Amino acid sequence: MQYLASIVNFLLGLGAAVFVPIIIIIAGLIVRMKVKDAISSGITLGVAFTGMTMLINFMTGAITPAAEAMLETTGISLPITDGGWTTMSTISWSWPYAFLMFPLVIVINIIMLVLKKTDTFNADLWNVWGKIFTAVAAYYITNSVIIAFIIAGIQVIFELKSADFHQHRVEKMSGIPGVTCTHKMCFLAAPMYPVDWVLRKIPALNKSFNASDLKDKVGIFAENHILGFILGVLFGLLARYDVAGILTLGVQCATALTLFPVISKYFMQALEPISNAVSEFMQTKFSDRDLYVGLDWPFLGGANEIWLAVIWTVPVTLIMAFFLPGNQILPFAGIINIAIAVPAYFVTKGNVIRMLILCVIFEPAFLWVGTAFAPFMTELANTTKAVELAAGQMISCSSIDGPIQTYAFSHVMQFMDGNFIPLGILVVWVVCFVFYAKSLIKEKKEDEALAK
Amino acid sequence: MAVRVVVACGSGVATSQTVASKVNRMLKEKGVDAAVEAVDLKSVDRYIDGSAAYITIVKNTKEYPIPVINGIAFLTGVGKDKEFEKLLKAIEDFKVR
Repeated sequence: MQYLASIVNFLLGLGAAVFVPIIIIIAGLIVRMKVKDAISSGITLGVAFTGMTMLINFMTGAITPAAEAMLETTGISLPITDGGWTTMSTISWSWPYAFLMFPLVIVINIIMLVLKKTDTFNADLWNVWGKIFTAVAAYYITNSVIIAFIIAGIQVIFELKSADFHQHRVEKMSGIPGVTCTHKMCFLAAPMYPVDWVLRKIPALNKSFNASDLKDKVGIFAENHILGFILGVLFGLLARYDVAGILTLGVQCATALTLFPVISKYFMQALEPISNAVSEFMQTKFSDRDLYVGLDWPFLGGANEIWLAVIWTVPVTLIMAFFLPGNQILPFAGIINIAIAVPAYFVTKGNVIRMLILCVIFEPAFLWVGTAFAPFMTELANTTKAVELAAGQMISCSSIDGPIQTYAFSHVMQFMDGNFIPLGILVVWVVCFVFYAKSLIKEKKEDEALAK
Repeated sequence: MAVRVVVACGSGVATSQTVASKVNRMLKEKGVDAAVEAVDLKSVDRYIDGSAAYITIVKNTKEYPIPVINGIAFLTGVGKDKEFEKLLKAIEDFKVR
């Protein structure tokens, strides 16, 4: 054990940009990649980490002074920088135990398929980082890697069940057969369900309008460079910069938001061969069964309602961030909040008006959970040097997927220290999940009866 | 210069890059000189011009001036070969144009 600990410490000392590539090269060789391909993947991953560090430094360098100036001009203190999901995934992958999550996710999926407890085969191995994210917080709270993995494992089971239950509605709404969504962002649909149930009773809210025309008009504001510029100018105004300072911050913010996806892509490029090898293995193993393929959310991206809700949530998030008690995060790179729009889309079956209301009601959850996760993400970033932060600088994300479930799962063990709030939230979430799942199953049965 | 093919997803990072990496590998194995680029769905219209084909992972209602390939096939494996044939043809047509 002593020996193992010293190896882990040595690897950590190398920094994420070196030790994670070493791990992926080994993992690549295990799934029988060619040596040169494995090394190429490893170095690409090192590039991704180093690129993200550069970019996050650039972002915090531009935004932190503005946030400090805003504190002086407005008296509102928002010291946590919002790095968005790309930053959260970078930090998550740098956890020394992160890669053990791959076998855990695959083994749980195989066991559930063999026992016929699920019909979903999760092909979305990219979002393994979402399990790592929950595990990291659980690890910092309990100090136990094993408990962290058990909690992540339970999350994996819920993801597969959620994908099973959603499949019919996914097919109905997207028009794509045979696929479902395994992403944990769908978990927020559970607590949205009772709220939507109440909203549905109000006749005026059952009307809908054509989202596509409106989306064509306002869609440009969701493009990264434009949105980044607007945010930068806004921060500059609030900080009372001069004109040159305001415009410079606008362009700097546009640069950060434009480059985040560009650099994140290298993570995907590095991880794709491994995830592909696993997918192909699973597909041949279960080729005799009709399985739903679990995918990440973007195949739903054709729905204009989702984009409209995302754009609507931008000003909602900004206004709330300044006035919501307990919020300490200044929304920036995470402000394109898909994780609120997609569950709202599912739960309302695409009713735009109720989606927009749900986005307002549930936005505080994102800001509070984003604030709550800042200490863990900052500590991990500093330990693994995944991201270099100035002393006292905090980092988090204003759009953590499935915030209520993620908070409840990762913090549940705090009941040992007498804090029963996360446990209470967990119970409420599970109850909502059960009722929501029942409504999804009922819809499927009714539609099947109708088809006959 | 390699012929450009675009594939888009919500952020231009995860799903689109998975498809891009996979199709790039398939093209390389066939010895086809083309490069698949992952882009952001919100900005895809800016990339259509000058591309041989658009691999989509959403149900499109919009019409595009270039051939549209079903990207879901590359994610699930169902109908992958047929879509790949379509893509090869689109690349050939683009070269002679």
